[in-house]
Amino acid sequence: MASMMSAHLSKDFFDLVKAIGESKSKQQEDRIISDEVQTLKKKMPEAKISRKKMKEFLVRLIYVEMLGHDAAFGYIRAIELAASKNLIQKRVGYLCSGLCLSPDHEFRFMLVNQLQQDMTSSNFLEVAAALGATIRLATTDMIPPLLAHVVKLLQHDRELVRKKTVMVLHRFHRLDASAVSHLGPQMRRTLCDKDPSVMAASLCLLHAQITEKPLGFKELVPSFVSILKQIVEHRLPRDFDYHRMPAPWAQLRLLRILALLGRADQSTSEGMYEVLGDVIRRADTGINVGYAIVYECVRTVTTIYPNNNLLDEAARAIARFLGSENHNLKYLGITGLAQVVEQHPKYAAEHQLAVIDCLSSVDDTLKRKTLDLLYRMMNPVNVEFIASKLVESLEQSTDDFLRRALVSRLCTAAERFAPSNAWYVATIVRVMELAGELVPNEVAQQMLSLVAEGGEEGDADALRADAVDRFVGMLHREVVPDGLFHVLAWVLGEFAQLSSESASVAEAIATLAADDARLKGAPRARELLLTALIKLAAQSDDINTKAALRSLAERFASSSNIELQQRALEALNLLDASTEDSGLLEDALPYDASLEDPLDGVVTGEGEDRNGGDALGFLDRFVASALNAGAAPYQKPVDDENETESESEEETSNFKFEAYAEPQKPGRRVQQTSYPMGDSTENDEEIARRLQEAEYANQPPQRTTARGGNAIGSGGGLAAASGPWGAPRQPVAPTPAAPRPAAAPTQQQRAPTPTEPEEKTAEQAEKERMAAALFGGVGAATAAAPRRAPRKASNASSRQASRSPPPPAPPPAPEPSLLDLGAPEEPPAPAPPPPPVSDLLGDLSAPAPAPVPPPSTASDPFAAFDGLSLTEATPSTAFAPEKLTTADFGGRWGPTKHEKRAEVSLTPTQTTPDAVAAGLAKVGAVLVEAIPATRELILAATHTPTAAICLWHVKLLATSAALVTVRSPNPEVARLALEASVGALSSSA
Amino acid sequence: MIKGIIIVNNSGQARICKFFQQVHREGYSPEEAQQSVVQQVYKQVSERPDSFCNYLEGSIMQWGDATKLIYRHYATLYFVFAVDKLESDLGILDLIQVFVEALDKCFENVCELDLIFHSDKVHYILDEIVMAGMVLETNIVTILSGVNDQTKLHQKSTSKLNEALGKATSTKMGSPGVR
Repeated sequence: MASMMSAHLSKDFFDLVKAIGESKSKQQEDRIISDEVQTLKKKMPEAKISRKKMKEFLVRLIYVEMLGHDAAFGYIRAIELAASKNLIQKRVGYLCSGLCLSPDHEFRFMLVNQLQQDMTSSNFLEVAAALGATIRLATTDMIPPLLAHVVKLLQHDRELVRKKTVMVLHRFHRLDASAVSHLGPQMRRTLCDKDPSVMAASLCLLHAQITEKPLGFKELVPSFVSILKQIVEHRLPRDFDYHRMPAPWAQLRLLRILALLGRADQSTSEGMYEVLGDVIRRADTGINVGYAIVYECVRTVTTIYPNNNLLDEAARAIARFLGSENHNLKYLGITGLAQVVEQHPKYAAEHQLAVIDCLSSVDDTLKRKTLDLLYRMMNPVNVEFIASKLVESLEQSTDDFLRRALVSRLCTAAERFAPSNAWYVATIVRVMELAGELVPNEVAQQMLSLVAEGGEEGDADALRADAVDRFVGMLHREVVPDGLFHVLAWVLGEFAQLSSESASVAEAIATLAADDARLKGAPRARELLLTALIKLAAQSDDINTKAALRSLAERFASSSNIELQQRALEALNLLDASTEDSGLLEDALPYDASLEDPLDGVVTGEGEDRNGGDALGFLDRFVASALNAGAAPYQKPVDDENETESESEEETSNFKFEAYAEPQKPGRRVQQTSYPMGDSTENDEEIARRLQEAEYANQPPQRTTARGGNAIGSGGGLAAASGPWGAPRQPVAPTPAAPRPAAAPTQQQRAPTPTEPEEKTAEQAEKERMAAALFGGVGAATAAAPRRAPRKASNASSRQASRSPPPPAPPPAPEPSLLDLGAPEEPPAPAPPPPPVSDLLGDLSAPAPAPVPPPSTASDPFAAFDGLSLTEATPSTAFAPEKLTTADFGGRWGPTKHEKRAEVSLTPTQTTPDAVAAGLAKVGAVLVEAIPATRELILAATHTPTAAICLWHVKLLATSAALVTVRSPNPEVARLALEASVGALSSSA
Repeated sequence: MIKGIIIVNNSGQARICKFFQQVHREGYSPEEAQQSVVQQVYKQVSERPDSFCNYLEGSIMQWGDATKLIYRHYATLYFVFAVDKLESDLGILDLIQVFVEALDKCFENVCELDLIFHSDKVHYILDEIVMAGMVLETNIVTILSGVNDQTKLHQKSTSKLNEALGKATSTKMGSPGVR
């Protein structure tokens, strides 16, 4: 200890540090620091203080600041010390300024002069100190006065200085890219510096620039590749080795840069394949930093234009990471797998058990990453299992970030893949229960719409009763989750009588509403509960309910909460006004009328146009006098809310069999009104349909953008269109259920598993069960479009499935053809036979993870589809070339309603855009434009018999396949065109 | 990039803090905001047994959503690097190792007290390794020569001011006066 004191440090400082080290509490520490602040405040301004002493004071000042106390009184001393002739004092001055001055502190600018002076110093250490300080202290305003000096230093003969200069430019670039943009060539030249450490620094600078604008740097790719090659071939001096790995951090950065430059750019990526393969092989030396490089390669390989060999290599690396005992490597494995799995789901299947292991890990970070991976693997088959895991974590988590991520994922999952309405409602309610404050309003609203609508016909009450029972249970809890009140009160108010214990519901509501303690955190709960009770009283014959309402309303009639008071008084008035005969309360709040239009049957301005003369007849005189006074007659508002929805027209034309008898009534739609009036039943379906469409319109942004922005993602729209309204009427059996029988053949087709353990422990069996639930559908469900429709259509079957542990066989059939069968206009097309199911789907009897099947036709779900299409291919003469401009095409694409899509495997010789265009030309489609960068084509033709235009969008996929999307105003034409295209593309193969 | 580097001991006392991305907290001074980050970091890393992996994700509000904490635990000290998603996880772990090895060379068996008494020097070492949040130098010899050149220079200048001290330490190039 005594030796410590000799280190130019005074006893004061030593005592301070010792006291803080020994302090037992935060308060004690704060007191010590406050004393220190006082001491410094007193001593630092003293005039005759030596610079050496001042240096120590500044170190103490840094210490005080680090412990969270303000020491602004001493900043000026730091600025002064920076001007010292003594380098070590100067450094402390700069250090203290850099650590303590906040970014907007005016003292920063006071240093500009000193920095300029030091940058021109003949002592390179002073220059380096100034550069180091500049990096920490520079602000946008400081760039112009410093820039000229900095640029000069790029020619300095010390590499230490050049290296730091490059970093200063990097900092300037980050602060204000425009200020240094004119230095482009000079900045690039630093890459060729003779000293590798300067080159490494310049990679940082270029990386920052490339991140912003990758296009301008494509020509540097050969340079980067050759630098990387030189590094891995040990051509740098030994000094740059770290644990015998040549310049690992430079390698990491180069790989990151290559990933940026090679993204979605085939030719650029091709230039990298060789060196990437080299790097990945040479880095694999079993040391930590080697794994870091291997992992970075995985990141790069999955980002750039894919190469199968490299992907396999990456998958092998991931497999090793996952199999490692080291948690850090496991973590990388999971992260890597999450990156691979979205584009190439086949790699996931190998690692089922490893993933399950990580899921049950006690390590929070690993678990979180695994959830992330699961979310990306989600498909219609495993959604229930994965969602249950996500809910489980939501229950346990207190971390705000994680909860938010989980909620948004669960909402998306429920929305995209829900197997049944009941499951959807249950999931959303559970999420709201756990984290109501994080659930977006739209999601709650959508869930309520579904309950109001009651799902598909015939089963409405079951869904509602289910929801009611869920909420009734919550009424009795000590703490009712705050986020749920709106939903809970509404559902109970509307449908409580479906509950098995409906008699006690009203009582429970009344008790809860009167309970101050339980409603503390929920200011609006009381109003909502009161309204629910009013509705119940209106719908129930039970005298007790009315009595409960009356006593509650009387209690709140004088509440200081105006809203509550109003509702209470309204309730009392309604109660008083309704006698046994008149039933005003019942009329005002009829059962299950939330979807009806309250304005139906209301008088309009024109006398003869009304049919419900008794509805608002008392207004007639008022209306008449207003008209006489010159008021404009009431105009029915135009109900155009769904004009843009693709479903709208088609559905109308399909389902309105009888002529429109009379104009529609004014259509202000109220979805969840608390006071629906009127009594229209004939309009039920119409309104429900509109509601349905509005629901689609409300869907989360990712779907709408997918539809509008990128044709690839637009499958969901049509899938939705053939939803609940199409299904019951179509002559064909509901398709989503069709592939179920395929489960049996699946088991026979399973490839032999590599290791067949003789005996399984219970734990193993459990893991395998989980794996089966998890990996069902992975690999086959790549193209799984967001499906709302099956949720409604296959309610019964999937509910059944949810009860039995082994997952149902997934429907990995080509979705477009299946889902679009719903259009009733079409002749009943033969349902395609269930395609062979790949053995990726585990089931209960799977004793070990199944290996990835060799890419054979049997395991390719699309192969079967191709064959099928071939037999049905129509003569290509049906289509005549249609010349369109790209703009024309774009304009037509959006409004064209009917879409069909399919993925077609191409032969290697045929994967170029030209070849595909030539193939489709045989069908009659003429190329509108090819976009080589994204490997997309658009084509157009006219279907001669119907004169319907037909639009093609072809995306060449990395897997030597093409995703063909066809749109036409006529669904039949779209189907024909797709079949013809698929036929043409596969036959030319 | 690296958003910040925090060294904190087993009882939550900050030893070295360096923020490359400033933190803000509504209603707090910059110093207090930094202090609260240190406390959050400490709370989270100290809860994790050493057998867990050395990563923590997205847990420091002030640094934004995509922040990952990568840390190593040595005897009494946690070395925590907060990074964005572009940094290589394992690479940073090795960087911490480089940093600690450099400290070890510089102070000859570094201990917690060295970090307190020579916090300026620790900062200089760190400045050689990481600049503006970017990994700059990982060769320990180069790192130390960057720091030691200045120490030598310092000794020259101080020897004039303080003959006795100069004599006592000029033979040792490393860190004068430590043990």
